[in-house]
Amino acid sequence: MQDVLDKPRSGDVPPAAPAARTATVRRRRNSRARWELTARITALSLFCLLLLFPFVWLVSQSLKDTNQYFAVPFEWIPSPFRWENFTDVIFKYEFLHYIGNSLWLAVYAVVVNILSSSFVAYGFSRFRFPGRNALFMVVLATMMLPGQVMTISLYRFYREIGWIDTFYPLLIPKLFGAAFEIFLFRQFFLSLPREVDEAARIDGCGTLRTWWHIILPQSKPVIIVVAVFTFLGSWRELFGPLIYLTGEENRTLPLGLLYFTSPFGSSLPMLMAAIVISLIPPVVLYALGQKYIDKGVAIAEIK
Amino acid sequence: MSMVSAEQRPRLKRRWWRREGVQGYLYISPWLLGFLMFGVAPLIAAFMTSLSKANVFRTIRFVGTDNYEKILTDDPVFATIAGNMLIYVIGSTVISICLGLVLALLLFKDFRGNHVFRTLIYVPSLLVGIATAYLFKQVFRGGEVGLANMFLSLFGTEPVNWLGDSEKPWLALVALILVNVWFAGGTMLIFLAGLKGIPASYFEAARVDGAGPWQMFRKVTLPLLSPVIVFNTVMALIGHIQVFETPLAFANSGGVATGNPLGYENSLGTFVTYLYVKGFVYQDMGYASALAFIMFAATLVLTGLVLWLARRFTAYGDADQN
Repeated sequence: MQDVLDKPRSGDVPPAAPAARTATVRRRRNSRARWELTARITALSLFCLLLLFPFVWLVSQSLKDTNQYFAVPFEWIPSPFRWENFTDVIFKYEFLHYIGNSLWLAVYAVVVNILSSSFVAYGFSRFRFPGRNALFMVVLATMMLPGQVMTISLYRFYREIGWIDTFYPLLIPKLFGAAFEIFLFRQFFLSLPREVDEAARIDGCGTLRTWWHIILPQSKPVIIVVAVFTFLGSWRELFGPLIYLTGEENRTLPLGLLYFTSPFGSSLPMLMAAIVISLIPPVVLYALGQKYIDKGVAIAEIK
Repeated sequence: MSMVSAEQRPRLKRRWWRREGVQGYLYISPWLLGFLMFGVAPLIAAFMTSLSKANVFRTIRFVGTDNYEKILTDDPVFATIAGNMLIYVIGSTVISICLGLVLALLLFKDFRGNHVFRTLIYVPSLLVGIATAYLFKQVFRGGEVGLANMFLSLFGTEPVNWLGDSEKPWLALVALILVNVWFAGGTMLIFLAGLKGIPASYFEAARVDGAGPWQMFRKVTLPLLSPVIVFNTVMALIGHIQVFETPLAFANSGGVATGNPLGYENSLGTFVTYLYVKGFVYQDMGYASALAFIMFAATLVLTGLVLWLARRFTAYGDADQN
């Protein structure tokens, strides 16, 4: 909040003020600023510690056997480490298969969503047509609709046409773009200079080629943001898969977690290992796209 | 070829599909089609279903507003759930907004390490889902093994049976609300963007006029941030009303998907888990559709309430931005 105040200010001090007094004022102000900064950092550190604890606890518990898991007092560093938990979860508990399903669904969602949403956003940002603003308001309004309202009738429809326990109910709707992503792309496209597309048009470049060769190559930041958000959304989606995918063969990672049971006795450390595995890709992805994501979230605020 | 057509263009009437308006519609047509097929059509169908008795396979008969009447007047489970939701949504939204705002204010200053804090706070909100739901289920486990109880024992508190106390089933709801402390990063980031959008000169002017930190917050930051606060509040409300994974995971017994998915004495029932149970466990599609519309109505009412309150209590910020 006081960010602005502490930046060096030239010309702030009236020339007539006695030098000694200014120095005292500045020193007082400096010590106050330093105290405030310490308080800030302390508060943030304590809060981050609180945030991190469950995750550190999780990793610790995922490397134990059942006896160690329930041991009191708690052991933060397990001895011995049971790395087998991870290999067991992946190979014996079929998680390799679930990860495969989730991964290809997520990659498909990313590719298709970038193409379809940017295509639609291009229409909204570069063409004038009657009802454009009203339709865009509808796009935004659909974000408020709870997906569950539609799920029930969609479920019955998919059952009718034999799509239950196939991936189609998760794949096909993605072809038509997603509201939030259309919104992000549109905001970004509006910020791109129109002169470049107009120059392309004068050179005889059609609108489709303009989208593909001119607009998209300039849109790396927003593409990365949409890619990360879409991947995360698909990776953690539970409600859709839970309803549409009934067989074990088609389980995604969240379903694998939900139905996590052990044929080999108590399985909590294994469950913890499975959780660690499912949290790794989002963290890695965030780390890769971080500098773009912070800005991408800020776009949402413009609304 | 393209050169020729480019030269001729001014004289020829452009082909109809080249017109700007038509092209615009062509580009947005995928969304329009998807909206009609996966939005409007199922919405209408769901509304029809909500007025009928229906199972998974077919609509059996039209029953008018029977489902709605039953839910609102004659369903003790729904009454419990509506109470849960009121507490949960208010509690969680307060956490998301207040904590998010405090964190954003703490981070709204350049200092070394700012970036690290911001990342640490934001990342958990990307992880929310069934995985973190099961993690927090173990964190709020009863006895001395649960992390929450380990933490409380530092202050000499007896272990709390968070999720299975038959005397105090509301403890489970408290745990469910507390989980949101870990996911305030999303609102924090939007608040931070909002703070950065306030012109520095406003703070400067207030400081020159002798405003202290509290006055500055109350008279400058808060009014200018109010559109962002409203946006965040509405988004948080919508998100919290649709909470699903965490209550479902908390209600399961062990790590297994069994037991009452609504929790002990339905203390963990939410709109979506109840809808799931009614529609896909008991396969009463008419009832579940009516539940979905009631949930939607609740969303609209709460959103409207927030917007109304915002209009009443913000002097100018709102009018400025819209």
